[in-house]
Amino acid sequence: MADEPDFDVIVIGAGVAGTVTAYLLAQQGLSVVLIERGEAPGSKNFSGGIMYCTAMKSVFPNFLDEAPVERLIDRNEIVFLNADSWVGIDYGDRRLAKAGTAVTVLRAHVDAWLAEQAEAAGAMVMPGVKVDALLKEGSRIVGVKAGEDELRARVVVAADGVNSFIARDAGLRPKPATDQQALGVKALFKLDRAVIEDRFGLDGNRGVAYSLVGDCSQGVGGGGFVYTNKETLSVGLVLRLDDLVKKGKRSTDVFDHFLEHPLVDAMVRGGELIEYGSHLVNEGGEKMMGQIVFDGLVLVGDASGLTLNTGLTVRGMDLATGAAIAAAKGIAEAIAKGDTSATGLAAYKRELDASFVGQDMHTYAKAPHFLENERMYGQYGQLMADVLHEVFCLDTTPRKHLLPTARGVLKQSGIKLTRLGKDGMEGVRAL
Amino acid sequence: MKIVVAYQWAPDPQEATVGESGTVDFSRAKPAMSDYDATAIEVGRAVASAAGASLVGVTVGGASVAQPVATKAALSRGLDEVVVVSDPAFESAGTLPVATVLAQVVQGLGDVALVIAGDTSIDNGARLLPPVLGALLGWPVLTDVQTLQFDGTAATAARTLPEGVQTLSLTGPAVIAVSADSAKPKAPGMKDVLAAGKKPVTVKSAADVGGAPAPEGVVRSTAKPSGPARKGIKIDTTDPAAAAAELLSALRAAGALS
Repeated sequence: MADEPDFDVIVIGAGVAGTVTAYLLAQQGLSVVLIERGEAPGSKNFSGGIMYCTAMKSVFPNFLDEAPVERLIDRNEIVFLNADSWVGIDYGDRRLAKAGTAVTVLRAHVDAWLAEQAEAAGAMVMPGVKVDALLKEGSRIVGVKAGEDELRARVVVAADGVNSFIARDAGLRPKPATDQQALGVKALFKLDRAVIEDRFGLDGNRGVAYSLVGDCSQGVGGGGFVYTNKETLSVGLVLRLDDLVKKGKRSTDVFDHFLEHPLVDAMVRGGELIEYGSHLVNEGGEKMMGQIVFDGLVLVGDASGLTLNTGLTVRGMDLATGAAIAAAKGIAEAIAKGDTSATGLAAYKRELDASFVGQDMHTYAKAPHFLENERMYGQYGQLMADVLHEVFCLDTTPRKHLLPTARGVLKQSGIKLTRLGKDGMEGVRAL
Repeated sequence: MKIVVAYQWAPDPQEATVGESGTVDFSRAKPAMSDYDATAIEVGRAVASAAGASLVGVTVGGASVAQPVATKAALSRGLDEVVVVSDPAFESAGTLPVATVLAQVVQGLGDVALVIAGDTSIDNGARLLPPVLGALLGWPVLTDVQTLQFDGTAATAARTLPEGVQTLSLTGPAVIAVSADSAKPKAPGMKDVLAAGKKPVTVKSAADVGGAPAPEGVVRSTAKPSGPARKGIKIDTTDPAAAAAELLSALRAAGALS
């Protein structure tokens, strides 16, 4: 190599994947710089807010005690919304709180904390700098360029999020198809802590997560969520881009409609809107990952397409953590061997595939296709509500048994029993 | 020889919210380098380099001012070193306690030729700090300075005042308050940030600078300024030329144009 590099590793992006990669590599004594375009880590982040944190706890054993997390999620609500009805499953389990596998987070706080850990481990944190491009020598990535400055490293880690312009502009990654991405719209409502705890029946630091599907997205493929934080609610929608365009809807209108739904309105009522915005979300699943190891460059987190929407759980931060662990291992090995080409760095991909990340991406490979099923976003919610309506609306007309009731409702809905069975089987297989 | 820049690591006003009653809430605003002080550092860098002086940043505040993100943000803008007085006692301290501590630090540094500051603060905008600091040091104070030259002995400052531009020369130490348009600070690059990580940072506590903060005035209430009542004139803009004419005559009628 012509010049001695400035750092062993340059990490672009101080989100979960970037900070954890930087932390783990700095801990092993490598020289690491963590570059973040925001004025502070987390300041540009727009993540929804549930972190499945087991992987994070393997990196920071005291994560739940020390990191600024919001609430420990031990109740999950899955709700099918119709215009004026809803049917849900309320799953509460003290075992979840005990295991501590899911927390709500506000990324402005958590990312700042993670960057502090990386800094304490010896990484250099460089906020307020936007990397413009990768430095290339032949096919090899040798550093980054920002403004007039260039920095060189043995390995560059692109942890620059869902759009990963860094990899895309270098011609290393295709622009994602519109059915592989969704638009996330999120608002943060401030309420008194006591109001949130009373309204949702929470005690102490426990919390609840709502996943909503159906009328919340006005039939557009996607879903909604409401997560309880300490003194705020994260309320959002994820809308598949291609479907949003096809149905000719505006995300702001769909979001307003969502907030006006009686169930959602009852949750956010009286809250002060303190943040509002939107961001792209990966929805492509395993198919979207593609090549993530190049000569001198690896992709981690959202930049590598690592997001899983199974309809029930929406995951990104845990996969980012898993990718960071695998990447740190692969990079450290490659640097130790003195081979940071794609071949030398291949250990990252092997580690990733063998970890829960690779396995879960594979298990849920069919989920994106299943979730494109139109009936999930309208007809099925209405079907369930109509059956229950026949059960509970006792208007002195004679009742029928549940089975004929359901058959009657199904017949009226126009959905064939074979169709329902097929969707059911597909769902069971994909999720 | 040293040139000091007094800077403020203050809540970012872009993240402040204004309540209906006109109260400004900074509680959710993350701290950042004040834009006015970034300008002061830019002016200081040019002046110090020309005079061969070293450029020392000094700030006073709570715990956040001593965090690496804060000191690096200041150093990456071109300071040679920083002295940070960080103590919970100085969290959102007012003009007099801050100026008292700054004066102590400046005297302690020795061989200070100039103290440069932004001419207003980003949170309260009282425009008081430079005059109070000058009074405590017993040094002349020049406000509204738009251009500043310093050859190591004599300084030349041009002040932009409502009456016109006043140019002054002075020898001996002084406090210079530079206006917001005195320089255009550029965002620090990667090399600047790297260099910042290697520059000296001195952290002092309240005890190191004379203990508890000086007393300050009590804020009895805050209210939004009661500007002139709006007249509620609406101009139809379907015909732009007619709308412009109507606007002109409305402004003339109000005495805004002669």
